[in-house]
This record gives sequence, C-alpha cells and structure tokens, in this order.
Amino acid sequence: MKTIDVQPQPLLGFARTLRIALSGVKYRLFRALVTVAVISVAMAFLMNILAESLIKMTVAATAKDQIAEMRLVDRWIARLSIPPTTAEIIASAARAGEPAEIENLRTLGRLDDAELTRLRELASAADTYLTFFSELNYGRRRVLVGSAESTAIFDRLQDATARETFFSRLAEMKTVRFVTETEAFDTLLNEWPVLRAYTERIREGQATAIRTVQDNLNGRTLMQSLRAAEGPFGQVIRDAGFNLSPAEAEHLSAKVGAVADTALIETAMNQADIRQAIAARLDILPGDVTPSRLWSLLSDRDNAAWYIGVMNEQGFAASGWQPDDVIALADSRARAQLLKQAERATMETGGGLMGIGQRMTWLAFVSMLVCAVGIANAMLMSVTERFREIATLKCLGALDGFIMTVFLIEASILGLVGGIAGTLMGLVIALLRMLGLFKSLLLESIPLGALVTASLLSIVIGVLLAAVSAVYPSLRAARLAPMEAMRIE
Amino acid sequence: MITTPEHTSPAAVAEASERRVIIRSVGMKKIYQRGAETTHALRGVDVEIYTGEFISVMGPSGSGKSTFFNMIGALDSPSEGRVFIDEVDVAQLTAEELAFLRCRKIGYIFQSYNLIQYMTALENVTTPMAFGGVTPDESRKRGMELLDLVGLKTRWFHRPIEMSGGQQQRVAIARALANNPSILLCDEPTANLDHKTGDEILTILQKLNQERGVTIICATHDHRMMNMCDRLMWIRDGAIERIARRDEVEVQLASIE
Ligand SMILES: Nc1ncnc2c1ncn2[C@@H]1O[C@H](COP(=O)(O)OP(=O)(O)OP(=O)(O)O)[C@@H](O)[C@H]1O
Ligand SMILES: [Mg+2]
Repeated sequence: MKTIDVQPQPLLGFARTLRIALSGVKYRLFRALVTVAVISVAMAFLMNILAESLIKMTVAATAKDQIAEMRLVDRWIARLSIPPTTAEIIASAARAGEPAEIENLRTLGRLDDAELTRLRELASAADTYLTFFSELNYGRRRVLVGSAESTAIFDRLQDATARETFFSRLAEMKTVRFVTETEAFDTLLNEWPVLRAYTERIREGQATAIRTVQDNLNGRTLMQSLRAAEGPFGQVIRDAGFNLSPAEAEHLSAKVGAVADTALIETAMNQADIRQAIAARLDILPGDVTPSRLWSLLSDRDNAAWYIGVMNEQGFAASGWQPDDVIALADSRARAQLLKQAERATMETGGGLMGIGQRMTWLAFVSMLVCAVGIANAMLMSVTERFREIATLKCLGALDGFIMTVFLIEASILGLVGGIAGTLMGLVIALLRMLGLFKSLLLESIPLGALVTASLLSIVIGVLLAAVSAVYPSLRAARLAPMEAMRIE
Repeated sequence: MITTPEHTSPAAVAEASERRVIIRSVGMKKIYQRGAETTHALRGVDVEIYTGEFISVMGPSGSGKSTFFNMIGALDSPSEGRVFIDEVDVAQLTAEELAFLRCRKIGYIFQSYNLIQYMTALENVTTPMAFGGVTPDESRKRGMELLDLVGLKTRWFHRPIEMSGGQQQRVAIARALANNPSILLCDEPTANLDHKTGDEILTILQKLNQERGVTIICATHDHRMMNMCDRLMWIRDGAIERIARRDEVEVQLASIE
C-alpha cells in the first residue's frame, strides 16, 4: 500500500498562537468581560480572606507582645504577693521566653547552672504531659489517673501499682494517642522527685522573698511602693532574691505611675464639681460624662492644661503635672483599648490554608468550584460560537493539539486578567476593612512579604482555575469534525 | 431534461486513461443515523477523477453532493467503501497525516467563504502556510502573489466584513491555493454571489485549471459551469446518475434547442 510522506507539522510560533487566542477574546469581547468578572469576583473573595487572615495573624502577634508588656504591672504585683503553684513553676521553666524569667528561677531557687539546665529539661517534658492530661476528656482521665489533676497525677503515678494500672489502661484505649512513647513517660515519672524538689526550692525561695518584700512596705500598699521601683524599693526587691534589672525597674515604676495617674484622673472625674465642669466644657449633661469622653477631651493640649488646673483647684494632687503628661496618658489608654480590641478580633485566627480557618477554606473552595463551572460554561459558549472557524482551521491543516492550545491560552488569558483584577480588588477591600478594625496598629504590622506571596498565589490560582476549567471545552473544540465547515446554517 | 447515450465515447475514455487517477472512490456509502431515522446520503459511489480535470457535480438539493465532497476531501470517513487520494487509502491515515493531506494536497472553497473574521485578507491566505511550515517572510511574499492572482493585491489589509461576497470568495480561492494543492474542492462557490461576480470567480477557477493544471471538483447548480468543465457528474438520491463529457452534453443541449 502506498503511504504519504509526512513532515511533522511545525509548532506555530507562540506569538501567532497567542494572537489567534487573543483575537478570539477580542472577537467576543463582551462574553470575555463577563467571564473575567466571574473570575475576578471569585479571586477577590479568595484574596480578601487570605489577606485579612494574614493581617490578623501579624496584628495578633504584635498585639500579644504589647499586651504582655502592658500587663507588666499585674505580673509584678502577682509575683510579689502569692507564691506560684508547682504547675506554674513548671510552665514558666518550660516556656519562659525572656532570660529575666529564667534568672528569677535561678536566684529564687538558688540553683547552679547544671541544676537550672536539668530543671528546664525536665520541666519541658513534664509540661507536654500536663498539657496532654488537661486536654484529655474527664471520663478518660478518670479511668487513667482517678481524681488526680495537674502535677498530682505525677505524684499518684509514683506508686508502682498505680503506674502499672495506668499503662495497661492506656494500652487498652485504642482511640487515645499518647503524646510520646510510653517509655519516655516512665522515665519522667522516675525523675519526678528531682523535678519536684527543684520546684519546691523555687517555691520556698519565692515565699521567703515575698515575706521580705511585704515586711518592707512600711505601711504603704504594694502599688504605692512599686512607684519607687527604680529607687530604694527596687533594691528591696532585688535583696529579697527577685531578678529585677535596673532597666526593668525603671520601666515598671513608670508603668505603675501611669496606672496610678490614670486612676487619679478618672477618680477626679467622678467628683461632682469636676463632672459639672467637664459637662459644661463638652456641652453635654453631667450624667453623660464617661471615661472615654473625658479621655478624648484630654488628648487636646488646651483641654489637658485646663483639666490639670481644675484638679488642682479641687485638691487632687496634680501640681507637678504638665499637659504633655496627660496627653501621653490619653494616648497610652487609647492604645491599650486598640490592643484589647485587636486581641478580641484576632481570637479565632489560625487553621486551614494560610490560617483562614476551616470554614473559610471550605467557602473559598466552593466559590472556586462555582467559578470553574462559570468559566467552563463561558468557554463552551466560545467553542460553540466559533464552530465554523475551528472547523475551517482544521480544513486548512490545523492539528487537534493546536486548537486545544488556542482555547487553553484563551482561558488562561481570561484567568490572568480576572486573577489580577480580583486579587487587587480583594487586597484593597481587605486593607480598608482591616484599617477600620485595627487603625494605627495595622500600619505597624503589615505583613508585606506574605501579602505579596498571597497575591501571586491568588493570581496563579486564577490562571490554573481558568485553564483547568477550559480543558473539557478545549477538548470539544479539538475533536470537532472538519466537515462542520461545509455546513451552512 | 437532458438525456444522453449510456456510454461515453471511446475517444474520451482513451484520453482519460493517459492521465493519472488522483481521486478514486470504491463502493463509497454514507449512512447518517440520527435516533430512529436513517439517512442513506450516499448509496455506493464509484468514481475516478484524473489529474488536471475540471469536474462539475450537479444534483438537486439533498442529493448528497456535500456528503460526496466530505468523503473525497478527507473531511469525513465513509460508512462503507474506500477513498484513495493519490493512491493513498484515506482510512489508513493517522491524524497528523490527515492534517498534512488537508494542508498540502487539497484546497477547499466553501459556499459561505469561511474566512476567519478577525484576520486580514493576507493573514487569511498565509494561515495554511503557517500550518505547512513556510517562514513568515516567504508566506507574506507568496500571499501577496496569490492575492495578485485573484486581483486583490491592493486590498490585502482588509478584513472580511470590509469586503463584498465576491472579494471574500476570491480571498478564499487565494487561501485554498496557499500550499500549491493539486486538488481544489469547491462546494457551490457561486451560490451566494450575483451573476457578474459569479462569472469572475468561474473565470479564475478556469484559469487555474488551464494554466496551473489544478484538478478542480466543483459542486454547483450554476449552468454556466457546464461551459467550462471537462466532465459533468449528476448525483441523485445518493447515487451517480450519470457522468458525461461536456461536448457530449452540449450536443444534447443543442439538439433540444
Ligand atoms: N450530519 C448529518 N446528519 C444527518 N443527516 C445528514 C447529515 N449531513 C447530511 N445529511 C443528509 O444527507 C443527505 C445529503 O445531504 P447533502 O448535504 O450531501 O446534500 P447536498 O446535495 O449537498 O444538498 P444542497 O444542494 O442543499 O447543499 C440529506 O438528506 C441530508 O439531510
Ligand atoms: Mg451542499
């Protein structure tokens, strides 16, 4: 039989293929625009939730540090009043971020370097198990360790029979996955007396230190005394055995001062005459004077100076105050409020893709699916409208692969344009919304790098989504019989 | 009605045998099955077409002319029987080989021109060349020559909507000639055109046949075609009713008048 001598068909230059695809877009511009709109809405949705969650995560991290710093006063009051529990000591030894906290443990427990290292090792192991037991549901815990809770569990399992029962029951519980190998837990239980002894030393050290500090209050409250933390009272704290660096002492006394001054200003506000004066100045009823109204009034220099005068007149000790001090107080109060609001708003972040949460991941997935159906439909329309053109191209010698490529490129172009438009839209909306929520806090903690990555990801998803949705329509176009070109409608 | 003797003259047969057969169909049938309805579009067609011939295919609407074209043009496969183009069995070809055949061997001219709407006249003409692997520069040069041949050199940048039907059909002819095919298949090329423009198209086809030796197979209702073709073929109800040389038919027509 005779065969024909085929030369392989050259791949049409990318430029020419792109032009045929682009012409398709131009030729049916309106349909293309509708498709782009569908893609951009879906991508805007995706980008919006991605960007918001990224911003929330960063803000949450920033707020967390600053809130910890805000609670410095509370921490020291607690530290100087009540000795910690064994579990608290273990947690602070296991998780302590700051060197100062570790130093505290060392001085209070009079531990040497080796002992300190050992303490931290054992504590971090113990902490893992404590978390495991606290998260275990009540019934199971009851079966495993009876009524014991927290570190009492370790005490209870010192007993050989109790420990044996524990391990055999744990082995029977098929649905519970223990955090480590059981051998490791056994080892820890054997070492528990050592850890317990360390924590006792720290606890007793701290109890003694607290007594020393309380004895040196000289009839003043702890709060009042802490105001002098940078001076003699700081030395008292240090002598008692706490680790308080001069820098921290200065910081602490400033904070205590601010807390006291803030309280004083708010107390003054409640005095009848002052309340009357504020109401007159604000032109509202005295009953409507609230701390937040007062503080927003005080962020102005003239008003601050006026209020200091009023306080002095009424016998509140504000003689040495400058308006700037009051404005600073107002600012730090506003900031504290902002941080608290940020903490509340970011409580539920985490989980799912880029921390958007399970529910949002699901919603995003569904929106992608709807979008894919929309694109597939639009591409099928495009193929149907261009039936004769496709068939003619095949009569002129186009291969199936070429036709397929043209339609995939067409869809990818739509995906790219829609992806870029949608991503920008979603990003802008997210930034505006987050600006409303976090105000100045947002500008300090904008995750630029992550946002750029998320934008690129979202554009790539747009293109891929369009290309994948166009696979079936493109296949239909490629399989079209060339004889359709002969048909006349 | 036209009636002719059963057989073509011995002289015609002798002349035909000197030339090579370029298209041969053997027992070609096409059955369309649509639901319960079965259409026998072709009921066994045996025909041989020689190189350099100009054949007119005539027949009433629905007789199977377009179906016949699809089969011998390698656009569709027959339900039964075989088609040989240049002695090659079309059914045996792979997708690439078919594309190659459509690109290089055959030029198609459609009743409704089928130009690509968003391309200029020149781009329409050069598209098959791109599929055939001709370089862009060479394509442009050859494209302009072909547009010159059909008298549209000055309108190379026009898009189909800016051209009359006759001009569009001339561009379509230039496109069909892009890769120097040895066969031109025309399905009612003048059906959508007025008398005068139809004449122009027919003149071009005749010139191509005489000067370049292109085999032309033309489905038509246009009786002017009879004056220029070598042979006429009538199809009725999916079967060849009659094939005759033009001189024989002319004798008949003359005798009727
Ligand atoms: N794709 C198809 N499916 C079903 N039937 C078809 C198909 N194509 C053609 N037919 C039928 O086959 C027969 C022949 O059609 P064809 O198009 O070949 O006629 P034609 O001679 O070209 O007519 P016209 O002069 O009107 O163009 C008709 O009865 C038609 O209905
Ligand atoms: Mg027809």
